[in-house]
Amino acid sequence: MVVRQYNEELKYLEKINPYCWRIKKGFQPNMNVEGVFYVNNTLEKLMLDELRNSCRPGMTGGFLPGVKQIANVAALPGIVGRSVGLPDVHSGYGFAIGNMAAFDMSDPKSIVSPGGVGFDINCGVRLLRTNLHEKDVQPIKEQLAQSLFDHIPVGVGSKGIIPMNARDMEEALEMGMDWSLREGYAWAEDKEHCEEYGRMLNADPSKVSLRAKKRGLPQLGTLGAGNHYAEIQVVDEIYDKYAAGKMGLERVGQVCVMIHSGSRGFGHQVATDALVQMEKAMKRDNIETNDRQLACARINSVEGQDYLKSMAAAANFAWVNRSSMTFLTRQAFAKQFKMAPDDLDMHVIYDVSHNVAKIEEHVVDGKVKTLLVHRKGSTRAFPPHHPLIPVDYQLTGQPVLIGGTMGTCSYVLTGTHQGMTETFGSTCHGAGRALSRAKSRRNIDYKDVLVKLESMGISIRVASPKLVMEESPESYKNVTDVVNTCHAAGISKKTVKLRPIAVIKG
Amino acid sequence: MDEESGDFTEDDYNIPSIKYEYLDHTADVQLHAWGNSMKEAFEQCGMAMFGYMTDLAYVEIKEVHTIEANADDMMGLLYHFLDELLYLFSVEPYLICKKVVITEFNTEEFKIVCKCYGEEFQIGKHPQGTEVKAITYSAMQIVDEPKDNKYEVFVIIDI
Repeated sequence: MVVRQYNEELKYLEKINPYCWRIKKGFQPNMNVEGVFYVNNTLEKLMLDELRNSCRPGMTGGFLPGVKQIANVAALPGIVGRSVGLPDVHSGYGFAIGNMAAFDMSDPKSIVSPGGVGFDINCGVRLLRTNLHEKDVQPIKEQLAQSLFDHIPVGVGSKGIIPMNARDMEEALEMGMDWSLREGYAWAEDKEHCEEYGRMLNADPSKVSLRAKKRGLPQLGTLGAGNHYAEIQVVDEIYDKYAAGKMGLERVGQVCVMIHSGSRGFGHQVATDALVQMEKAMKRDNIETNDRQLACARINSVEGQDYLKSMAAAANFAWVNRSSMTFLTRQAFAKQFKMAPDDLDMHVIYDVSHNVAKIEEHVVDGKVKTLLVHRKGSTRAFPPHHPLIPVDYQLTGQPVLIGGTMGTCSYVLTGTHQGMTETFGSTCHGAGRALSRAKSRRNIDYKDVLVKLESMGISIRVASPKLVMEESPESYKNVTDVVNTCHAAGISKKTVKLRPIAVIKG
Repeated sequence: MDEESGDFTEDDYNIPSIKYEYLDHTADVQLHAWGNSMKEAFEQCGMAMFGYMTDLAYVEIKEVHTIEANADDMMGLLYHFLDELLYLFSVEPYLICKKVVITEFNTEEFKIVCKCYGEEFQIGKHPQGTEVKAITYSAMQIVDEPKDNKYEVFVIIDI
């Protein structure tokens, strides 16, 4: 990394409008395109503070600020458009989290990078609706939260309860949600409301290591830990009545369930395995990057293709996972209300992915090009009339599910045409962290957090008490800030705000 | 990887003093471990990782398993060593380790053989801490200064 004085660094950054900054070439070496990041005043301060801190002399064991990472990504071979930082951007491994980068498939130099997808491949969010109102749920809220906690395995060392053997696993990896459907864990219409219809067709389980499969098998159907959760939420505010109506969200107080989870140990192992392969390939193919964690391979190389096929298998794993938890959630509600999940209208509104690489067509300099779009901590947000979104959302645009942090609100947005042009149809994914976990634990007492949640009427079931402090809202950027910035910048449009009434965490 | 049957010696039950700490990082955590030798720093790092997943005070030593890690350089060796420990936890025997003892530490050929002491992770017995998703190379540092008796490692784990 080039280390300059903070004032020197600022010369490469330019504020284009109240919500958007550009990062000029030269900020980091070898930039092929410019960078850009979307922020409002509050978020802007966090980004620049991060940069200022890194310019101080004597930073050991430190990490690169988000702006630098966006610039390093802009230096990767084959990148087109701009390296985009969404409002929730914060530093991660190689790629910042909240970073989108697209590569021209017709350019033989173009690369694919597991770091641009993330370790938790197809970490994503699914939203189920119900026809219940908050007042129906209030009297039994504690029992319902407990029931959900008992049905869904969460936390360190938890194992899945849906019976699976190695052969089931192979089929699930290849078939994704089609497997869940066949086994009776998913409804046919669930697929319609899922990206890729819950199955990436180029998945090839034979490209996945035995190690990954072994790590994945016990964890299928588990929620995970960290910032993963299942929440019972209610509609708090409706911004766009028409779009909300199309999603089946008709009234304030309507009860929904949001599930935030990914591919667990399986996806992580796939990413790890690929990084090892690609480091070797980089030496062979003379690919240089600004950061070791930006390990990548030519898209058309054996390593590149193998990664895409195993990434697809991991994506399928995550969809099977979210489908399994959907099934368990439907069971938990059905038992409590003594009604079939069908009668409770527990349909999937949509399922989005925020850590994945997709092959998509976009207009670049007036021409239609096929691009490999990496979205890490970034959600696809396709506009109205896009052929890849379900029929019932053709007029509204693709639903975008933005999970808030524990005890704060979540949002549903829709994709816009402006977003399609400016960010290749990408938007934020959540709140993004502000405080490190260690700082959170030192400064925040878990009892205070629990009391506060209780006072807001939120029931919480958590496997790890430590997590309560690390995951408290104070540790994160303000999700409302992030979402409002996306809305103001025109890259996605607010539809509904959801408020949690029960939280289940690992 | 194999399990050794037979009795443990008294020495096996000795738990080394803690020579690790957890450092600030925005989204994840950085393990910082040290020792009187590189080998010890590596061992402490392994225990630091397990210490983040649960409270090691609740872990008993009932089994021992041997793992092996190979790499092309020191950073790769640290990475693969921790990855092997994580794997031990993630699949059968789902071992949570109270202590690890490196029996072979080859810095020419970058190879580690290590004995891992602990027991099978049980929800209810062992507090659920934070899950470690992966080991990363991000900001990894291996400080090897024999003159100053300084042996430290820094590694960020994805949680």
